[in-house]
Amino acid sequence: MKKTCPLSISIGLSIVFACLAAPPLARAAIKNSDCFGCHSDETLFRSETDGVSQSRMSEQLFIDKEKFSHSVHHSNGIGCVDCHADIKNLNYNEEVPHKKQLAPVNCTMCHEEESAAFKDSVHMKIRGKGITMTCYACHGYHYVTHQESMSVVERVNNVCAKCHNPYLSHDWLPKKNEHFAFVECVVCHAPEAPRHIQLTFFDLVTNKMYSGQEILKILGIAENEFMPMLDINKDGNININEFENLELMLKQKNVHAIFHAELVVEMQAMAHQVNKGTAERDCKTCHAADSPYFKAVVLLLTKDDGSANHFQVDRTVLESFSLRHFYVLGGTRMKLIDKIGFLLLAGGLSVVLVHLTVRIATIPLRRKNECDDKQLSLEKEVSQ
Amino acid sequence: MTHEKLIYIHPTPIRVWHWLNAAGIVLLVITGFQIRYAEVLNLMPLKETITLHNYVGFGVIAAYFLWLYYYLSTDKITIYFPNLSTFVAKAVKQVKFYGYGIFRDEPNPHIMTPENKFNVLQQKAYLGIMFVLLPAQMISGVFLWKVKGYSDYIHLLGGIRIIDTIHVLFFFFFASFLVVHCYLATLGHTPLAHFKAMITGYEEHR
Ligand code: HEC
Ligand code: HEC
Ligand code: HEC
Ligand code: HEC
Ligand code: HEC
Ligand code: HEC
Ligand code: HEC
Ligand code: HEM
Repeated sequence: MKKTCPLSISIGLSIVFACLAAPPLARAAIKNSDCFGCHSDETLFRSETDGVSQSRMSEQLFIDKEKFSHSVHHSNGIGCVDCHADIKNLNYNEEVPHKKQLAPVNCTMCHEEESAAFKDSVHMKIRGKGITMTCYACHGYHYVTHQESMSVVERVNNVCAKCHNPYLSHDWLPKKNEHFAFVECVVCHAPEAPRHIQLTFFDLVTNKMYSGQEILKILGIAENEFMPMLDINKDGNININEFENLELMLKQKNVHAIFHAELVVEMQAMAHQVNKGTAERDCKTCHAADSPYFKAVVLLLTKDDGSANHFQVDRTVLESFSLRHFYVLGGTRMKLIDKIGFLLLAGGLSVVLVHLTVRIATIPLRRKNECDDKQLSLEKEVSQ
Repeated sequence: MTHEKLIYIHPTPIRVWHWLNAAGIVLLVITGFQIRYAEVLNLMPLKETITLHNYVGFGVIAAYFLWLYYYLSTDKITIYFPNLSTFVAKAVKQVKFYGYGIFRDEPNPHIMTPENKFNVLQQKAYLGIMFVLLPAQMISGVFLWKVKGYSDYIHLLGGIRIIDTIHVLFFFFFASFLVVHCYLATLGHTPLAHFKAMITGYEEHR
């Protein structure tokens, strides 16, 4: 890449990219492989364990090269010294070619938005109590991956469940099992964050999620053919008919995938705004027909690096038999069933009303009969 | 009134079951409406409604087993099975009675006895309710109660939406049935006769 940014508008985007990429290039002298020269050794440990930074770091100084190469940072060209920014050069004359105690890595230099959102959260405010919560307490550092393709359970286990056991609280919430399995913690705890229902392909027989690659292979198409194939009316939205088509196509390939649905946040900085007492607790925000929580629906084709392609799906799919395995009381109910139900009720009521009306209208008739009867029996008695 | 004959038609276990069941179903229908239509109904908070619905649901299940035990242990279960060879003829007669004869004070073609207390229409309806609809409602309710815990069975049955659809359609049936049932109960020889019978056990015969 060139160091000078060509000032052409048509390649504006690549300017931004090239400029962003400039800092790594500036220190291109140090490559990751230099560091791995020592830090891929599993037996490399810290000489002093009572250093200041103990609490932040592990004793072992080994970095798993393979795992690091799959990280989101590596795939985006971020190298060791982009994070360990105070290593300017390696001096091989020393036993340790850099400062023994390096400055803490500052994630916020690249993630300003997240850091701003995080400032406004209970986890930042606990600094007042002397607890410092770093970004990597939740995300880890060397092996950070994209999180879009993760299920609710994975997201929870990777992050919140490391420190909190939600079953110890939330006693006001019935069906904790169901809620924690289908609703990501931050959907309730960062209610400002946009969220959507995410649909993934799930095989009930093997109990496994199909990856996007697998689905594309089954359908025998390339990634960029997926939406054009499904979206027949070209409105950029998979409607219920198009969705049913997809189901049919999979069935024809002998794949009995069901759609697994979960309520998750979109990957946005606002997910960090977890605060005391602000979480969603009103059942009716979710368990009512007009719930804002079930407006956005996306179908995922997951990728190996943890990211995913998102395809917008019409929300009416949630209210159909295509989603047989997801039903939120009140929230995603089928209107057709309501209509059938009210017909049943109306039917019952009208039978009763009609019968009752006729019954009342014919009272005089029966009275007359009764009089006749009495008269008859009287006459009989008299004649006896 | 003196020449009217009293017959003992509803034994105690059945009367107990009936009123438990009736109260249960009424509560289930009301709470069911609240659960499904939380955005328009505000009878009570959703959480408490769900808790109540679940408790009452189990109450109705318990009552059902009381009913089942009584009938199985006494052989009286046969009163629920219509005689198929005479069914059509009797059903036509009974329909004619409800649709026409009753307005002219004609006698009910069915004569109630402890061994044969239901007319054929009642037999058919109650048979369906007690052996198909109510069990299906109970089972689907129990599945809805622990969606995660029973997820394997739920998957086998085609998914939670299938279970819920059954539960809701039958719910509407029960709601509708409740209205019709109460109305039909006023068609005794006096409007309150059948109600009294279900309390005292004795039906007056003309
Ligand atoms: C010649 C071997 C060698 C090379 C090359 C090397 N390191 Fe180190 N590194 C060490 C040793 C040894 C320690 C342990 C220091 C101690 O005794 O605590 C260490 C410690 C560290 C620490 C912990 C510092 C602290 O504050 O506790 C970090 C971070 C680190 N190295 C990063 C890197 C990076 C990034 C590179 C590549 C630019 C790199 N190292 C290259 C040998 C090396
Ligand atoms: C996304 C930023 C980031 C990248 C890229 C990164 N590190 Fe780190 N590294 C950290 C953080 C954060 C820590 C924890 C301590 C801290 O705050 O300094 C750390 C700690 C370490 C440690 C101390 C041992 C440990 O695991 O806690 C070593 C050694 C180290 N890094 C080496 C490397 C090497 C070698 C590379 C390149 C292959 C690398 N780092 C790339 C962020 C990064
Ligand atoms: C309390 C745990 C927690 C802490 C601390 C935390 N995050 Fe996050 N972060 C999350 C969650 C939850 C998400 C949403 C992803 C998900 O649904 O799993 C997220 C998402 C992200 C994303 C992807 C979404 C986006 O905005 O593109 C980035 C980047 C990110 N965090 C960076 C940071 C940085 C930088 C810090 C430190 C300032 C930080 N996080 C601190 C929990 C945390
Ligand atoms: C040198 C810049 C840089 C530093 C420092 C840095 N990151 Fe990143 N980070 C990136 C880039 C670039 C991406 C990829 C963004 C994308 O794909 O949209 C990224 C992505 C992420 C993601 C998003 C994963 C997802 O779900 O898509 C998380 C989480 C994250 N970083 C956490 C951290 C943490 C924690 C630290 C500190 C230990 C850190 N980053 C330090 C540049 C950096
Ligand atoms: C690294 C550990 C850690 C992780 C991971 C973590 N938290 Fe926390 N959390 C804390 C600590 C420590 C507190 C402060 C407790 C206190 O104030 O007593 C806290 C406080 C909270 C509170 C406020 C508690 C109260 O008393 O009202 C909520 C809500 C919360 N966290 C939610 C979350 C959510 C949601 C996640 C996942 C996105 C998460 N936490 C991840 C450590 C963590
Ligand atoms: C249905 C919404 C919802 C979901 C899902 C949810 N929470 Fe909560 N949570 C709340 C509400 C409401 C409170 C009450 C306090 C508040 O408003 O912060 C609470 C309280 C908490 C507290 C503070 C408990 C205390 O001792 O006072 C923590 C910690 C917490 N949640 C963590 C989690 C974690 C971790 C998850 C994911 C497994 C999760 N929550 C999922 C709504 C939710
Ligand atoms: C953030 C949205 C949200 C909130 C708030 C919420 N729920 Fe849920 N609830 C869900 C989701 C999603 C499911 C799981 C649906 C499934 O099992 O397929 C669920 C499941 C349930 C179930 C199990 C039956 C079913 O629909 O599958 C019950 C009962 C329930 N919730 C009651 C409540 C009550 C009571 C409250 C308030 C105290 C509440 N919920 C608050 C989203 C929510
Ligand atoms: C005839 C009696 C019953 C009626 C009329 C009835 C009605 C309803 C209705 C309308 C709903 C809401 C469904 C929706 O919105 O999708 C519901 C939910 C539910 N019903 Fe019933 N029901 C009956 C019996 C039972 C029984 C016997 C049980 C067993 C315990 C039960 C357990 C449940 C459960 C668990 C739910 C889901 C809500 C929750 O988790 O509490 N129901 N019912």
